[in-house]
Amino acid sequence: MNTDRLVERLAKQLEPVAPLRRPGTRAAAWLIGAMLYVGILTLSMTSAADIAAVENDPWIVLPQVVAIVTSMLAVTATLASVVPGHSRRVFVWPVIALAVWLAALAAASPQQAEATAGIAAANREWLCMVQIVLGGAPLVAVLAVMARRGAPLHPAVTAAFAAIAVGTLSNVGACVSHPHTDNGITLAWHGAAILVLVLVCVAGSRYVLSWSAARRMSGDELQLDR
Amino acid sequence: MMTEPNPPTEDLDQLMRAAQQGDAAAYLNLLRRITPRIRAVVLRQRGFAGVAEAEDLVQDVLLSLHAVRATYDPARPFVPWLLAIVRNRLVDGARRYAKTSAREIRLDETDVTFSEPATNTDTGEIADAGVLRQAVRELPEGQRQAIELLKLEELSLKEAAAISGSSVGALKVATHRAMATLRRTLGVKGK
Repeated sequence: MNTDRLVERLAKQLEPVAPLRRPGTRAAAWLIGAMLYVGILTLSMTSAADIAAVENDPWIVLPQVVAIVTSMLAVTATLASVVPGHSRRVFVWPVIALAVWLAALAAASPQQAEATAGIAAANREWLCMVQIVLGGAPLVAVLAVMARRGAPLHPAVTAAFAAIAVGTLSNVGACVSHPHTDNGITLAWHGAAILVLVLVCVAGSRYVLSWSAARRMSGDELQLDR
Repeated sequence: MMTEPNPPTEDLDQLMRAAQQGDAAAYLNLLRRITPRIRAVVLRQRGFAGVAEAEDLVQDVLLSLHAVRATYDPARPFVPWLLAIVRNRLVDGARRYAKTSAREIRLDETDVTFSEPATNTDTGEIADAGVLRQAVRELPEGQRQAIELLKLEELSLKEAAAISGSSVGALKVATHRAMATLRRTLGVKGK
């Protein structure tokens, strides 16, 4: 088709659209919903004694605070990555926060081993991984829907940040409902779960986030009637 | 290529804001203004791939821009938003080009002949554009218009019907008759 004619058709088929809200605003909306979901899921799987034990241990609480901050920054990066022309600086912060979270877990490991030994049960360590991956799946789905409303500029990057956002937040719930004997084990299991989420999301990203999908999503796909 | 002075970018911002609100005239104006710019960027980066490929990329950028126009933040400048889309589509285009060129071998057009004379439909008479043009000119008015709109201008049946004032069915019949007349005139055998 001739480009001039394409331009005329695009203008002729134009429908009004509401501009997407800023990535920070959309990220906040997702985070509030995700925290509620993780909170309810965690409470349904946790005894009051477990929660009390976690609350009293700063070596468990500190990495969780960092994990929530990481999730917040990663979801902002996810939603910023689908906005053309948005500053790429937002990509740096979640990476730093993730590094701090890993460092916090590693640093807390020796101090915390003794304090939490009583609340851990070795035979259910793998459950945290199930909780992070399967429990996080609905959050990934919601984030995918939100990301698909944007431009699929870097599908793999978007998917990786989405997985980090979901993984770090789900990790908080898993730390409360399935605590490990020390943060070294947490690091291994939760790190592996987040890695699985990242790999799965990145592998599926080009099917979910593509320009052809964006054209379908826009609702007024150009009618090429020939 | 026609060159025009670059419009002030604030104008483009305003036009895009109006386009988001559904103002088709503003959108048409915006697309007409940015198309030469997009074409210039594409030709600069991918001119080696040929004009047709570059034009495909320009159209790809326009379709992409249209699909994600909701991502434009009215509080931000339009040009960086546009350039991010252009860059992204150029990278995707380069990737596609690298993939296909690795699998394709370009051949010059060659005459193909077969041992059976009946199978050699590609005769010199048909290849002669002058003879074909003359044959089209000699068609009855309705048939000539159908051929011009549908085969030469490559309009859809709907568009051709709107322009000619004929029904889609009548256009199909006229095209069929015109093709039969042309085959007879040009002495082409077969379907």
